[in-house]
Amino acid sequence: MHTWIKSVLRTLFGKARLDRELDEELDSYMAMLADEKVRAGLSPAEATRQVRIELGGAEQVKEKVRERRLGAGLDALFQDIRFALRTLARDAGLTLAILVILGVGIGANTALFTTVDTVLIRPLPYSEPDRLVIGLKTMGGAVSGPVSRVDYFDYRRDVEAFDQLALLTTFTEQFTVTGGGDPELVQGYWVTWNLFPTLGVAPEVGRGFLPEEEARGEAPVVIVSHGFAQRRFGGAEDAMGATLVLSGDALTVVGVMPPGFRFMYDADVWRLIDRDGPYDTQRDSHSHWIVGRLKPSATLVRAQTEVDAVATHLAAEYPSADEGKGLMLSRLQDYLVRNVQASLLLLMGTAAFVLLVACSNVAGLLLARGERRVSEMAMRTALGASRRRLIRQLLTESVTLTVGAGLLGVAVAYLVHHLLTKLLPVWDLGIHPPALNGPALAFTVLVSVGTGLLVGVLPALRTTSAEPVGQLRSDGHGTVGVRSGRLRGGLVVLQVALSVILLVGSGLLAHSMARLVDVDLGFDPANLLTGQVQIQATEYPSPEERTAFFTSLLEEVEALPSVETATLSNRLPIVSRWQDWSIRRSDQPPPPPQESFSAMARWVPPGYFKTMGIPVLEGRDISKGDGAGSPYVVVVSRKVAETLFGHADPLGHMVNIGDWRDCRVVGVVGDARINTLRGSPDPAYYMSMAQMGSTRLQIAVRTAGDPLLLVRPLQDLLRHKDPNVLFAQPRAMSNVVEGELTGFRTILFSLGLFAALAVFLAATGIYGILAYDVGQRRGELGLRLALGASEVGLVAMVVRQGMAMVALGLALGLAAAYPATLAMRHLVYETALLDPTAYVGAAVLLGAVALLASYGPARRASKRDAAELLRTA
Amino acid sequence: MATGRTDVLRGTLDLLILKTLTLQPLHGLGVARRISQITDGTFDVKPGSLFPALHRMEQKGWIEGSWGESENGRRAKYYRLTAAGRRQLGEEKANWAQVVLAIGKVLEAT
Repeated sequence: MHTWIKSVLRTLFGKARLDRELDEELDSYMAMLADEKVRAGLSPAEATRQVRIELGGAEQVKEKVRERRLGAGLDALFQDIRFALRTLARDAGLTLAILVILGVGIGANTALFTTVDTVLIRPLPYSEPDRLVIGLKTMGGAVSGPVSRVDYFDYRRDVEAFDQLALLTTFTEQFTVTGGGDPELVQGYWVTWNLFPTLGVAPEVGRGFLPEEEARGEAPVVIVSHGFAQRRFGGAEDAMGATLVLSGDALTVVGVMPPGFRFMYDADVWRLIDRDGPYDTQRDSHSHWIVGRLKPSATLVRAQTEVDAVATHLAAEYPSADEGKGLMLSRLQDYLVRNVQASLLLLMGTAAFVLLVACSNVAGLLLARGERRVSEMAMRTALGASRRRLIRQLLTESVTLTVGAGLLGVAVAYLVHHLLTKLLPVWDLGIHPPALNGPALAFTVLVSVGTGLLVGVLPALRTTSAEPVGQLRSDGHGTVGVRSGRLRGGLVVLQVALSVILLVGSGLLAHSMARLVDVDLGFDPANLLTGQVQIQATEYPSPEERTAFFTSLLEEVEALPSVETATLSNRLPIVSRWQDWSIRRSDQPPPPPQESFSAMARWVPPGYFKTMGIPVLEGRDISKGDGAGSPYVVVVSRKVAETLFGHADPLGHMVNIGDWRDCRVVGVVGDARINTLRGSPDPAYYMSMAQMGSTRLQIAVRTAGDPLLLVRPLQDLLRHKDPNVLFAQPRAMSNVVEGELTGFRTILFSLGLFAALAVFLAATGIYGILAYDVGQRRGELGLRLALGASEVGLVAMVVRQGMAMVALGLALGLAAAYPATLAMRHLVYETALLDPTAYVGAAVLLGAVALLASYGPARRASKRDAAELLRTA
Repeated sequence: MATGRTDVLRGTLDLLILKTLTLQPLHGLGVARRISQITDGTFDVKPGSLFPALHRMEQKGWIEGSWGESENGRRAKYYRLTAAGRRQLGEEKANWAQVVLAIGKVLEAT
């Protein structure tokens, strides 16, 4: 083997020496043969002549030796590549165009492949992620979200298919850190002791939680993030054993998670869920996720069967809370990516489309170039080159070209990819950000070579199909030109069709975007500053003190210059989501769980609806009189009123909230989009802030001018009022709303960009084929002019020819658009998939661009002098 | 072209060359002459087949070339058999024996 490799290397790189030695050897052979003949009696001259005849051409012998050397095929390939590079360099303009077209196509695909690979294909960054599952509550068979922590402990005890079954809250909580440094807000969430063992991630320093620590008050411990330990304590080791006061609870740090660890949410602290409460002790309170690790021997199906058995048992034992309730298990990764999956696959498909358009465009360019080289190929055939050899040469050229484009594509990918990771919400998945890596580069190489063969094979077959003698004799553009002209026409039709599909898709998204931007939020987001305000429970122990603080705060804020009104809420619209609690009429028995009705629970001070711009439809607002000691009141949104009372007047009726408190309905307000822009307005009800006594609320300030100008005065006011108050996340509501649209905007932007690229390519395709055709038909056009055809008539003739291709492409594209856009049905918003605006828009835009592209060559055809046309034909 | 001279059977040239070189190192012309001599002129190896075969076998490490002086004082490249070549010869001989046997059987059967 060793000898062989050495031989191949010598063939490739030691060719000069090998050839020199071969020359010498043949010379010596001929000399000895001549000697023999002289000895046999011939004159030296005659001997030499006969030797030459016998040898039959020294060069041929040498060529045969070269061909049979080990690695000769490889050597020929290198020669082909060198030749290809020379040829491509001669046609620099065309080469550059192809490089850019394909580079963009390949680059976009590489970038998206990387993201798709990371997000959808690559496993999660936890140990053996295939065994991780998430459990969602079902009601009457339909998935309905978070799980009850009480039910969880039963599942944990009775289901045997799991190595570990853990629980975590569906929200992060902001804790105030006090003691040993400035107070600060940190994000954290609550977990059962075994969340980290479930994920298979151990703390970098210290230990995880212990099972016995779950008993309430047993051991007040906390685990913190690497970043937090660095920031607050100067290092993981220094954090160990330190005391941390989190919202008033003194906790000991027992472990620090490794850098980069993240699960579901960003968090700096993890607190232990107490087995016995103190809150959320109801089976029908659902605010947790269940995450489990299957035993190596267990399957998802088996685990689901066991879970179902436990659910049946629970329903029998606790019919009031668990009737009809179940738990559905799914692979954690499938669950995490469900939101971005559609967008990513759509973009990937789009990028593939663009590459197809680019390929057919480049194939067209290569065909045109091939026509110019038909004579060259015929000449080489006549000189003894086999067709196979020529095709190999042409394919080498196109692959060399596309591999070059692939290199360019990597650069493009780097840029696009950067943009994608910034704009797509992949960060939220707890997945490490995508990076351009080995698989991505392998993908690029594969695509580049594949593209090269794809775009090269037709032109190569066409270019070499000419019969050499006829071709050389006429030196014209005979049959090959006509046939490949038709082929190029077909390619243009394909490009037009693909572009139309992309245009229709972009149109649908653009329409959805317009709908989203125009959507009636049900409240007024303009000139509204939002932020979080938190007071210390220890400083304001009673609900009355808290209410007094917040009420005086609002008065002082409203006294600030340029402030119109100010208000508070436990959760402001769009800024914070969910917190839906059940609500039912007090005069009726509780409905079975699967029929229970929930709405967004909010508590607000008097004047909330005025500040937010939510209309009060009936009854009254929350008033100053609705304090801690007075009867409980609630204002419901129109949907809640209709659901509970139908057309009857809800005012004065009693409703029960969260199986907890009965309140009298005093008013009805409009529905607003509280959770997200997409979807319909959310039913909601508003209780009196003074009757809740929260320490943490969100503030909304309606201003006369730019709301962000108010951040500094507000901070000063708060610091002056109480230095221990935390004020966080000041944002303008309009920016919050805009932020909701960012992900969608990204997809729309990418799709629009891809569509524009495709249309541009299609236009150059049309232009190219018509310009070429006009060039070919100089003679005919000249003759027509000479015979009296009008310039306008000639222009019309050429344009008609272009538009025929476009019409066919349009028809095909419009027909294919519906099935193709089915993939994006989850992304469109209040827009029909067969939206006429999108279809007509796509057709008109493409038609107009195509007309423009045909007009150029047509003009040129008619602007010529008949005599000149005939002379140069 | 004299009748009775045939081209070397496809695939057997390597075998013939290897066998020729077992006795002593030879240059290209020497190899051709020896084959012709042994076969009483039945096989005439042309340079167009001889040199490609020699070079390929040299690259495979079966034979090894070195420059020396011919009996008439000309500089010539002499090839000698290597250990790998000797092994290869053994294999090719065995193959050839099989072929002969097989063809013999076919001819007898008809």
